Amino acid sequence: MRALLLAVPIAAAAAAGEACELPGGAAQRIESPRHLVLYRAQPAPLRIGEHFALEFVVCPAPESVRVDAWMPEHRHGMNYRPTVAAQGGGRYRAQGLMLHMGGRWELVFEVRAGGTTERIAQSLRLE
Amino acid sequence: MKPGGVLLILAAATSAAAQAAPAWTEAEVRAIVAHGPWPAPWTRDPSNRVSGGTAAIELGERLFFDRRLSVNSEIACSRCHLPERNWSDGLPRAAGLEEVDRNTPSVTNVRTQRWFGWDGAHDSLWAQSIRPILDEREMGASAAHVAKLVRGDRDLSCRYRRTFGSAPAADDEKVLVDVGKALAAFQETLASGRTAFDEFRDALSRGDPAAGARYPESAQRGLRIFIGKGSCSACHVGPAFTNGEFHDTGIPFFIRPAQVDTGRHGGIKRLLANPMNLLGPYNDDAKRSSATGTRHVALEHRNFGEFKVPSLRNLALTAPYMHNGSLATLRDVVKHYSEISPDRLHSDGEAILKPLRLTEEETQDLVAFLESLSDGGGNYRRRRFEEDCR
Repeated sequence: MRALLLAVPIAAAAAAGEACELPGGAAQRIESPRHLVLYRAQPAPLRIGEHFALEFVVCPAPESVRVDAWMPEHRHGMNYRPTVAAQGGGRYRAQGLMLHMGGRWELVFEVRAGGTTERIAQSLRLE
Repeated sequence: MKPGGVLLILAAATSAAAQAAPAWTEAEVRAIVAHGPWPAPWTRDPSNRVSGGTAAIELGERLFFDRRLSVNSEIACSRCHLPERNWSDGLPRAAGLEEVDRNTPSVTNVRTQRWFGWDGAHDSLWAQSIRPILDEREMGASAAHVAKLVRGDRDLSCRYRRTFGSAPAADDEKVLVDVGKALAAFQETLASGRTAFDEFRDALSRGDPAAGARYPESAQRGLRIFIGKGSCSACHVGPAFTNGEFHDTGIPFFIRPAQVDTGRHGGIKRLLANPMNLLGPYNDDAKRSSATGTRHVALEHRNFGEFKVPSLRNLALTAPYMHNGSLATLRDVVKHYSEISPDRLHSDGEAILKPLRLTEEETQDLVAFLESLSDGGGNYRRRRFEEDCR
């Protein structure tokens, strides 16, 4: 009952070319043409049916960000609506997430910047 | 040896079993091992300051069997939660002062749950324990009735003081909540024992083919269906065989013409409107660490007709089945999922269930597996209180 993901170095070059860091240990990485997201689940690894939080940073810092997750094959999302609190410097903490079934999930960051919203997603498998 | 390191053929130790028992892949071993260990480790409920306390358990047990909690002094909690029926009642739908719309869920292993009741309208065992006391169709009492009983009965009043450290408060609602917490403390002790499946699961985990081979072949084949083509473990997962959440399983939710059981949708509404939820003043956990689910639960249209995924432990002892008790036997339950019509599921719901089209042998195997999740029952012994509490 754990998620299969690859850990990446805690610092990486952001899409915009600036340094992007999430201090505190290994983090997962999702990159889009405009943004880089580094995130870490707490507690980790993710387990079916257990609440967790996400510490994450978005580079460059956006105007706002929402977090969600859904199962594409099952056509449903989570049973919980997470809240996201800005920690400053592009860092955030999302709380109240839970992946309640095994299988493939998409973790989604909706990043609002420059008047547009970019959907940045990563697939993960929970078993 | 760690689980899943090799292809395991647990039945190879016996010549007869070698013909038909499955060989397990690494992924299957991981899926099976995830349904344990059992029993689950004890953790106290942080929202209940008397959780795990001996005095609270004793008081809660007395209250559980005390018919005076009901408005007519005829109906105790044990009216529907009978020890000899694995803490259920064997009826399709529960009956207190009147018949209600849902099947009585067993309270065995209830402490492992996140949400309580078929619709999850309560987020703590103590709040759930109060609900039937106040329900007009079940016990029909009030906070004033319960508080008067506890204050006026010498033994209950004494045990209340032992449990909570002071005499029953003047505030009726506070006494009612404490009664709920004592009832919860008792119910937390009701746990099922180890089963044939647990022995097999542990043998698989430690790589012990001889021990694993004692698990019947039919149950092993049924287990393979359960974690494989049946996708049963998509929801019935973990040591208690439930993800603790809610799904639409195609069981009709019309109670009577033009009246539906809204299931989880109504449950979330009642949860959020209840001042006794974990966000309210009666949660003894000042940090509200146990209130994460309540704080973040999302109300969606798809919640209509969703009901809680029940634990499958001691399943064979709790017929009839489903939220409305409409399926009489385990075979009927398997047949339901084997023949389920996608037309009966919400169009905006989850695309999970499909008819399994099980053969007769597969049906028998899946039933054999489900039956192997029961401990046989009968391990409860009611405490004797020879001491007079003063």
